[in-house]
Amino acid sequence: MTQTPDIRRPFSWQRFLRNVVFIVLAIAVYAYGWKVTRIDLKTLITDAGDIKPLVLDLLRPELFTREKQSIRLAVEYPVPCPPEFTPKPATYKGTVLEVKPACGPSNKVRLILRNGRPNTKALVRWHFPIGSDVVVAQARTDDQGNLDLVIARPKPDIGGDEGIHAAEVILEWEEGPVKISNTLRTVADKMVETIFLALMATTFGVIFALPVSFFGARNLMMTTPWGAVTYYVVRLVFNVLRSVETLIWAVIFIVWVGIGPFAGVLALTIHSIAALAKLYSEAIESIDPGPIEAITATGATRLQTIIYAVVPQVIPPFIAFTIYRWDINVRMSTVVGLVGGGGIGYILIQYINLLQYRKAAVAMWAIVIVVSLMDYLSGYVREKIV
Amino acid sequence: MLEIRKLNKIYPGGVHALKDVSFTVEDGEFVVLIGLSGSGKSTLLRSINRLVEPTSGQIIWDGVDITAADHKQLRLIRRNIGMIFQQFNLVKRLSVLTNVLTGRLGYVSQWRSLLNYWSPEEKRQAMLNLERVGIADQAWKRADELSGGQQQRVAIARALMQEPKLILADEPVASLDPATSHSVMKYILELNREDGITVICSLHFLSLAREYGTRIIALRDGRIVFDGKPEEIDDRRFKEIYGEDAVQVEIR
Ligand SMILES: Nc1ncnc2c1ncn2[C@@H]1O[C@H](COP(=O)(O)OP(=O)(O)OP(=O)(O)O)[C@@H](O)[C@H]1O
Ligand SMILES: [Mg+2]
Repeated sequence: MTQTPDIRRPFSWQRFLRNVVFIVLAIAVYAYGWKVTRIDLKTLITDAGDIKPLVLDLLRPELFTREKQSIRLAVEYPVPCPPEFTPKPATYKGTVLEVKPACGPSNKVRLILRNGRPNTKALVRWHFPIGSDVVVAQARTDDQGNLDLVIARPKPDIGGDEGIHAAEVILEWEEGPVKISNTLRTVADKMVETIFLALMATTFGVIFALPVSFFGARNLMMTTPWGAVTYYVVRLVFNVLRSVETLIWAVIFIVWVGIGPFAGVLALTIHSIAALAKLYSEAIESIDPGPIEAITATGATRLQTIIYAVVPQVIPPFIAFTIYRWDINVRMSTVVGLVGGGGIGYILIQYINLLQYRKAAVAMWAIVIVVSLMDYLSGYVREKIV
Repeated sequence: MLEIRKLNKIYPGGVHALKDVSFTVEDGEFVVLIGLSGSGKSTLLRSINRLVEPTSGQIIWDGVDITAADHKQLRLIRRNIGMIFQQFNLVKRLSVLTNVLTGRLGYVSQWRSLLNYWSPEEKRQAMLNLERVGIADQAWKRADELSGGQQQRVAIARALMQEPKLILADEPVASLDPATSHSVMKYILELNREDGITVICSLHFLSLAREYGTRIIALRDGRIVFDGKPEEIDDRRFKEIYGEDAVQVEIR
């Protein structure tokens, strides 16, 4: 005669109301967040075309260059065109460009190029009377260097149509030996700067963080009142320094020492000191207190105790944390340049602003390669040591 | 002569770990401290070299008041008191030899020791002490490569480097198996018999205490409940020390 226990939780108005309020609040928060951050998923689709040139250029970084050559031929073309009118052909070093107007409703214009450079990229550009122009076609010359194509005559977006237009054909090709591009040289230069920026910052960080970290270790400092005060002050300073991001430090130091890698080194150093000192201190706090007691009991001084009982115990974690920081600094050093702190970020942002995506691509690939290489290397070292 | 007078320790949490503990130890004695877990054995031993600061009372050693010593005096006192711990407390990543040499830190100049420079004489002495505990061949190994028994012998050699007049041993064999326990206890006994070093040693097992101690002091809840010869501990005394429900176990 056992009764089945009622496993349902009894209903409570209080809990129900609390949950309703919570859900309503959550919805309000996220709705507002959606609005202030102007989330607009539609643009991701509608403006997808904008990213296309960047993505395509990423795939063909400007690593090597040859000398660019081109010839240009232009034929004047009056509008409206008089009946039976034949524009005067243009010639340049044996290459001839003829334009056959079709003065009628069809608006078709035929361009005939003879004796050009064979198999060469040809750009057709239409000039309007007001001075603006538009690319109307891209083609290639055939094996004999001829080109024959019909285009629709474009109309200017603004300004009048009447006047002297011009049809221009530009043949473009590259010639001579393949050379390492200037971009690649600059990027390599800046990459070296970037790596050394990280190295200097990490080294300075370690040099300052090492001694200070002992003053930020609870187990060493809490033995005397003055020690406790020092501990809290040191911890507070670290926390304040760490709460300011590296990029903001970079901006501050740029104001101080000017744009360039030195500002970047200072910014990364400050953040490294604070972050490393905290990690080091925590490593010291988590050591086995036994050896400290044993060495103290031999009549050793405080300093001797630290050197013999604390230091040997913290060497492996210190090395691990230093490598970890080096990793972060390599990454950060590629970024401080964005605000003017030297390194590769500095030229990357310039290339992007100038819409030179193929050059930006070189910088981006260099970052990917160097950062992952350093990542792999530090992982390897860490494994060997710890 | 070590004289402990009305020693009290109240920990910051409020635990009254030692209550009016008084006793006197003559030079050359082998005193064993026994008592249940939490009875205050470690607190008492650590109070003697002030790893734990006593709340009140006095510890007088050869006419010097340890409890009144300042930093500098305390270091000079400590270097004459060797200490051996249950967990050996070696510096694991240092070599056995360096661990033994650290026993000398109280004697050498601070700046020299910071560079880990040791005189040939000090090294020779360290090797001799390692030989004495039978592990000279392990001198160049890292301390954590040794077995528990070997590590405790390194700790004994470290204490010997101090040329101590007193050795405090806090459950030196509690982490060791019975056979190893005896071998380690024999070394400590040897220091007492041959070198005349006074030993105060806490032990968990009464059987071990009876075997090695010339005198037994028992603590219960921070108070001395027995102080006398091992053979005086009969069934009634035993129950006073360990409580009504306890039974004697043997360790051989
Ligand atoms: N650092 C400390 N802070 C607060 N209380 C402590 C501290 N160390 C010990 N105690 C307390 O003091 C009492 C005595 O502890 P003590 O370690 O001296 O006992 P013990 O006899 O050595 O025990 P065991 O056999 O477990 O080692 C215990 O109640 C313990 O909880
Ligand atoms: Mg204990």
